[in-house]
Amino acid sequence: MTGQMIKVCKADDVSPGNQKIVDVNGMSVGIFNIDGGYYALLNICPHRGAALCEGPQCGTTQKTNDYEFIYGEKDAVVRCSWHGWEFDIRSGAFLADNKIKAKTFEVSVSDNDVFVHI
Amino acid sequence: MVIVDCDCHNYWTDAEVLLPYLDGYWKDYFVRGEKTGPTGSFPHGHRAWFHPEGFKRADINPETQHEHYTIMKEKHLDRYNIDYAILTGDEALEASTLANPHYAHALVKAYNEWMINEWMPLDKRFKGSLIISPTDPHGAAEEIRRIGGHPDIVQVLASHGAQRPYGDPFYHPIYEACAEMGLPFAIHLGGQGGVNSTPIGAGPTTYFWETHALLPQTAMTHVASMIAHGVFEKWPDLYFVVIECGVAWVPSLMWRLDANFKALRKETPWLKMLPSEYCARNVRFTTQPLEQPANNQHLWSTLEAMDGKNTLMFASDYPHWDYDSVDSLHIPPEWRENILGGNALKVYKRLGASHAALAAE
Repeated sequence: MTGQMIKVCKADDVSPGNQKIVDVNGMSVGIFNIDGGYYALLNICPHRGAALCEGPQCGTTQKTNDYEFIYGEKDAVVRCSWHGWEFDIRSGAFLADNKIKAKTFEVSVSDNDVFVHI
Repeated sequence: MVIVDCDCHNYWTDAEVLLPYLDGYWKDYFVRGEKTGPTGSFPHGHRAWFHPEGFKRADINPETQHEHYTIMKEKHLDRYNIDYAILTGDEALEASTLANPHYAHALVKAYNEWMINEWMPLDKRFKGSLIISPTDPHGAAEEIRRIGGHPDIVQVLASHGAQRPYGDPFYHPIYEACAEMGLPFAIHLGGQGGVNSTPIGAGPTTYFWETHALLPQTAMTHVASMIAHGVFEKWPDLYFVVIECGVAWVPSLMWRLDANFKALRKETPWLKMLPSEYCARNVRFTTQPLEQPANNQHLWSTLEAMDGKNTLMFASDYPHWDYDSVDSLHIPPEWRENILGGNALKVYKRLGASHAALAAE
C-alpha cells in the first residue's frame, strides 16, 4: 500500500488556522495549512485515542532559559481536542515529551488538489 | 554501612541561651520585649494545635543544657551507631512565623551562632543546618554567604510553614546563595502559626493527631511550586530536601503533575523535563515518620514508584514522639545502605567529601 496518493480536498478548502478533517481510505486525517504549506496528521491522539486534529490549530510559548513567555510557532501546533496535548503539526512531535509522536503523512498539492501519501 | 540521621533535634533548655549572640536593639527586644510565654520562651507565633502530651519521647528528660547532649549520645547516637547526625534545631525554625522579618533574621542568626559554638564542638558526628527565616530572603542569603562556608554546615534549613509556596521568585535569593555555597535547601515540618496561616487546606482542623497527619499538604505545595517555577532549571545542581513531611504521597503528586504538565506545558515554558524528572533529580525526602500500612508491601510498591532507593534518606526525628529508630525502619533490606546513609553522602556533598577523606586515611 506504500506510495499511494489519495486526493482528499481542495487546497483552498484549508486556510491557515482552519484545518479540515478528511477521510483517507477509511482513516480520519487532519489537513493543516501552515503559511501556505500543507501537512497531514492521523486524527488519533497517541495519548488516549481522541480526535487529535479537531483541537485548536495555534501557536504556543517557546522553550526558553528565562522566566518569560515568548509566543511563537503560529499555526504550527495543534492541541488535542480532549486533553490539550500540544503537537508540532510538521513533525508530529509532542511538545512536552518528544519521545511521543503523532502519526504524520506526506502531503502534496497539485492544481489546487491536496494529496495525502500513504 | 554509614548511618546518617538527617533529622536530629538539638534542643535548648530555654531560649535565653541565645542572649550572648544577640546585641543592641535585638537583645533589648528579646530581653524586654513581649514573648510568647514566660522568660526563656522563644518569640514565635504558635500553631493552633497543642500536642496533648508535649511532643518529646517520655523517656528523654534532660534537666540541664548539657544533658540534652549526653542523653542524645547515650540513647540515640551511641545506641544506634549513628555516624553523622544532622542537627535540625528546634524552636528556631519557628522564627518564620513572626511578622517582623528583621527580628526573625536576628533570632536565627543567634541560633546559628549558638549551634556552631555550643553544639557542634560537642561531638564529631554532628553536622549543622544553617537556619534561615524565609520571611527575609535577602537577609537569609546574606546569612548563607556569611557562615555557609563552615566545613561542618551541610544544609540551609527553613520551616515548611511559609507565607507562600517556596518556588515563588520572592525566595530565589535564598537558592542563589545556596547554589553559590554548594548547600542543599531543606524544609522541615514546622512554622504553622503566626504569619504562616495556611498550613491546612480548607481551614484549620481540630485535633493534633489529625492535623499532624495532614501537614504533608503544605510540602506537596512546596514541591510542586519549586518545580513549576523552574528553580531546578535556574540551579540544576540544587538539592531540595523535604524533612518530616511523609513520603507515600510523592508518587501520586508526580503522576498528577506530569499529567497536567503534558496538557499545559505552555504555562511554564522554562521547564525542559517532566515534573517527576525534576523531582527525581533534585528533590530528596527523609523517611521519618515513614507511613505504616498493615501490609508493608503496599508501602514498598509506592516507594518503588518514586525510586525510593535513591530518593529517600533516613531520619530519626530524635527525640520526638514519633521517633523512627535505625533498627525498626521498615524499608526493603536491599535499599538500607542507600537510605541509611549512602544517599545522604551524595546530597550533602560537603559531608560526602569529608567522609571520603576520613575513609581514605
